[in-house]
Amino acid sequence: MSEDVRETPPRPQQLGRGTLLEMGLRANLLQAAWNFERQQGLGWAFALAPALRALYPARETRLERLAEHTAYFNTQPTLASFALGAAARVEEQRALGTGGDAASMARLKSVLGSTFAALGDRLFWFSLRPFAAAVGVLVAMTHPSHGWGALALWLVYALPHLTMRFGGVAWGYAAGPAVLSGAFRDRLEAAVRWMALLGCVVLGVALAWALAPGGEPRPIAVQCALAVGLGVGLLSAQRARPSPTRWALAFGLVGVVLAWRFHG
Amino acid sequence: MKGPWLGTLVVGGLAALDGTPMAQTLASQPLVTATILGALWGDWSTALGVGVVLQILAASTLPIGARTPEDYSVGGVVGAGVALTIAAGAPFEHVRQAASLAGVLAGMVAATIGVPLLRAQRRWNEGLARWCEQSLREGREGALAQSQGAAVALAFAIGLAATAVWLALAHWGSSFVEHESLRLAGAWHLLQPLWLGFGFAQLLHAFVQRRLERAGVFAAALVGAWLVIVAGAP
Repeated sequence: MSEDVRETPPRPQQLGRGTLLEMGLRANLLQAAWNFERQQGLGWAFALAPALRALYPARETRLERLAEHTAYFNTQPTLASFALGAAARVEEQRALGTGGDAASMARLKSVLGSTFAALGDRLFWFSLRPFAAAVGVLVAMTHPSHGWGALALWLVYALPHLTMRFGGVAWGYAAGPAVLSGAFRDRLEAAVRWMALLGCVVLGVALAWALAPGGEPRPIAVQCALAVGLGVGLLSAQRARPSPTRWALAFGLVGVVLAWRFHG
Repeated sequence: MKGPWLGTLVVGGLAALDGTPMAQTLASQPLVTATILGALWGDWSTALGVGVVLQILAASTLPIGARTPEDYSVGGVVGAGVALTIAAGAPFEHVRQAASLAGVLAGMVAATIGVPLLRAQRRWNEGLARWCEQSLREGREGALAQSQGAAVALAFAIGLAATAVWLALAHWGSSFVEHESLRLAGAWHLLQPLWLGFGFAQLLHAFVQRRLERAGVFAAALVGAWLVIVAGAP
């Protein structure tokens, strides 16, 4: 900390709703400058800036803190809001002189980042995102001349995503580093389990509809193609590579070649 | 005709933003962008045909950790855009089906080519982040907002440019697709269910996670829904 700041100690204040809301808004740009070196570091500093502005009236200290926060950070982007709130609480204590130093803040960011990544990847990437896609595809297949499928997909994902993104900052700020308590984890784990079960139901209904849309069974060749796709898909899903897109591209190329060979 | 074309370019840029740099609300998912483009071009059936297939494949492509996944944000817009460009004004159903096949293939190729593009963008952002930290230490507080703005503008420009290139290719190749539409439509009839089945399996694997009770729930839902759908049909 520089000499002039020591002479005029900052006067930290409780962060208001406006500041927390601005942090939530800025969290939408958490991954704007995502890169391999610092990953979300720049976006993290950008989202935390309103809190630092309120907590550190001395410009020099504020810039020092901002530069510090541009270092490496990465987590699941929705749950990053909780980490932002918790970090703002610790910065508040730090501004009062009771919250540790740069190294302890870096350790806290590392713990928050890895824990929220482990929880958030399962909740959002492995559960909610496929679930929203399954719901959207089912609705789009049953209502092929409307945009309800897209709306369903967007609402199923965006409502919890945006609620956590904006509400998470205030939640994390209120709880501080204790935001990772057992109760919070248990709720997220339960959500993951329920979404997996509901996802199985939605996929079952979607497949039944694909086999007999509107109660009219599709031609046997189409049903066979669906079954072959399902079988190859289940086998290929056991290995990460080649990616599903490469498999699908290979199917497409083979299909086009066969069409040329046998059609007309 | 220029309106839908320009609209598709803008949707391509916006989808590239929602995909990773901004908001991540899934508004960039192929089903959503295809629906928007379907409304823009006035052709729901072609847009949704492409959108559903690309969506089911995009759902099994996950942006975990530092992995650079296939870029289905731009791929979805390219797929629907290419199909709609080819199908625009086509009087026959088989031409629209051929256009759907071309659209899905173009979407998957665009999503795959998007990986090195995203990596280049992310490497460029590394320089931006270093410049930002240096500027902050030198006392320029506005550097943070400038860096974020530059990264957002770059992502939008890449999405828009990639969409423009693919639409130009579609415009150029549309006569070939129309000429070969009978063969391509035949392929579409089998490839669409094959892709759907493949995508369903990927999602099923994500949900079941080798748990017997979940597989049982899926089987019960499949049989139950099939009975209700078939028995309930007029």
